[in-house]
Amino acid sequence: MLLSIVSYGLALGAVYALIGITYNVMFAASRVFSFTAGTVGMLGGVFGALCIDRLGMPVAVGFLITLAAGAGLGIITEVLTVRPVLKSLDQHLYVLSTLAFALMLQQLTAIEWSTEPQPFPRLLPFGSGWFDQQFWLPLLACALTIAGLEWLYRYTLVGRAFLAISEDNYAARALGLPEQTLRIASYALAGMIGTLAGFTGGEMMLAYFGNGPLLNFYGFVPVALGGMGSNRGAVAGGLALGLFQQTANFLVGGIFASVAIFVVFILVLLVRPEGFAGAAPARRV
Amino acid sequence: MSISRRQALLGSAASTAALATGVFRPAIAASEPIRIGYLPALTGPSSSTGIGINRGTELAVKEINDAGGINGRQIELVVRDTQSDPTKAVNAATELTRRHKVHVIWGPLNSGEALAATPLIARDGVPQLHPCWVDSLTDVKKYPLAFRNAPTNQQIGGAANHYVVNILKAKKVAVISDTTGYGTASLNAYVPMLKTIGAEVVYEGSVESNNPDLKPELLRMQAAGTQAIMPWSVNAGFLSRIINTRAEMNWDIPIVGQTTLGSGQTKALLKKPEYWEKVYPNNFRNCSYNATGALPPRTVEFVERIRKAKIEMGDTLLWWIALGYDGPRLMAEAIKAAGSGPEEIAAYWNKVKAWPGVYGSITWTPDVHDGFQNEEIVMCQANSLKEGAFTLAPGYTG
Repeated sequence: MLLSIVSYGLALGAVYALIGITYNVMFAASRVFSFTAGTVGMLGGVFGALCIDRLGMPVAVGFLITLAAGAGLGIITEVLTVRPVLKSLDQHLYVLSTLAFALMLQQLTAIEWSTEPQPFPRLLPFGSGWFDQQFWLPLLACALTIAGLEWLYRYTLVGRAFLAISEDNYAARALGLPEQTLRIASYALAGMIGTLAGFTGGEMMLAYFGNGPLLNFYGFVPVALGGMGSNRGAVAGGLALGLFQQTANFLVGGIFASVAIFVVFILVLLVRPEGFAGAAPARRV
Repeated sequence: MSISRRQALLGSAASTAALATGVFRPAIAASEPIRIGYLPALTGPSSSTGIGINRGTELAVKEINDAGGINGRQIELVVRDTQSDPTKAVNAATELTRRHKVHVIWGPLNSGEALAATPLIARDGVPQLHPCWVDSLTDVKKYPLAFRNAPTNQQIGGAANHYVVNILKAKKVAVISDTTGYGTASLNAYVPMLKTIGAEVVYEGSVESNNPDLKPELLRMQAAGTQAIMPWSVNAGFLSRIINTRAEMNWDIPIVGQTTLGSGQTKALLKKPEYWEKVYPNNFRNCSYNATGALPPRTVEFVERIRKAKIEMGDTLLWWIALGYDGPRLMAEAIKAAGSGPEEIAAYWNKVKAWPGVYGSITWTPDVHDGFQNEEIVMCQANSLKEGAFTLAPGYTG
């Protein structure tokens, strides 16, 4: 039982964490909470199965095409659903525009791909039992992503420019930073991270259009738990969520497991609305 | 002889009046085609069923028309693809009843669309035949002209329960469903039925169909001493996870339930083909091979006709084609014997007894419009699909 909780719990948690990071990367660049994060995650599984299983491409080629498709979707999201509403952020129109685009993508996937879950190929010719690749691949992807983002943000000029526009968009523009280009790059990066989540979690979650709403919600929980904008918080929140979900599956089972997650989620938000790693909003005096 | 202008005008007026009052109507009606409004889902998520049924329907209509039609009147199939969308099914049904004034409607072919369209078809007073399983889709008071030539969900669950308890002799049963409306409704309906026939339901639960790990649920079932698992879901991912997990636990017990257990989508998601052993989905006796690999004589003759007509069977199910074939034949027989008026068709169908369809024998009465017979619903071996038909599950005779 313990092995099952740990292996499935950590793997699912890593997928949720990656979707949480996807939310964060888009949010940092635009202050927009884009509801396409889970849909892009779902498409990671679908693109992977399409390239490798249906079109017979080598795994590496399928992986690169999936990431490229994710980047493309990220750019389209920015151009179509975020840029037009940036001027009126306070009206929260992005909720409608990003949600509508996510629903369009989901329906398109249902029509063109399938409404039934489709198999996702085995990516590597080794690993079985509790150390099966379906468990450690999402964890590895999550670790590499967080390490890569830390390196990008701390040690590269581009990364610092990302941080600059996320901290103060106007000041960054005044300093001559190409805000729009950086925002597009952030959305492309977020799209790649989202599809990476779906691709590495594909064997566990299958290539299924219905995974979109699920990932949208369960990916949002780590962001809320870990604190908006905090990637480390999202990873900690995601892994904790996965472990808790799997423990609840074993202890209470059925739909009660989902109820348990909602209860904990609401309790955490009541106690710490800013999340565990988020800073409390400064009060103007 | 010269005709004056006044005589010509009087003649025209008389002709117009005769047409308007219907003096010549019998002659026109006697030769006009019989219009069957047909509502298949030929595209969209439910289209695999619709395409299969459509092959049988087109074959039946062609055969009837080639044989001279119904009392000399050809059948005109007025087809509207519902695109698996209840809204489109509603619009199409209204178009068929009001604009095309069809004599009878065949469909919709899936329950979601039928739930939306049946009240409207009933309101317009057009006889309807449909093959949908949701129990509430026939009701002699609300829909007196609606008839079903397929089993109800109650019958489907009853047949599976009968197989588990009376044929497999499993007394401790686990019933699991997904959290969809279909899943939870099935669970709520079938658990009391199981208890009524003497089974002990040692596990019952609904789980999200997306849940990637169902081992906790199967461990609970195992700990409770389960002898058979009955999953109720149409989600191939959910069903395949149950089958895969059972195999990985080396747990050798039967899985008995809905037809999707034997679908190609479920098969595609199994980690190994042999995991499909001891999985028994619902099926229909007339469209199943017996233990010696033979179909019933009536079905053998039907399959020959399908082959002659060069209709593809390998990518669909025989019972879908057979079901589609029976629909227009039931309509043609009623119109031939009783006439094409709504009340005439319904009155004839109300007295149909043991009508020998290829899909199943149909019996209707004025009080019961569910025509399929319980004994013709069976379980089959999921891994036995050959040319669109399955082999009966172990324990059946004949």
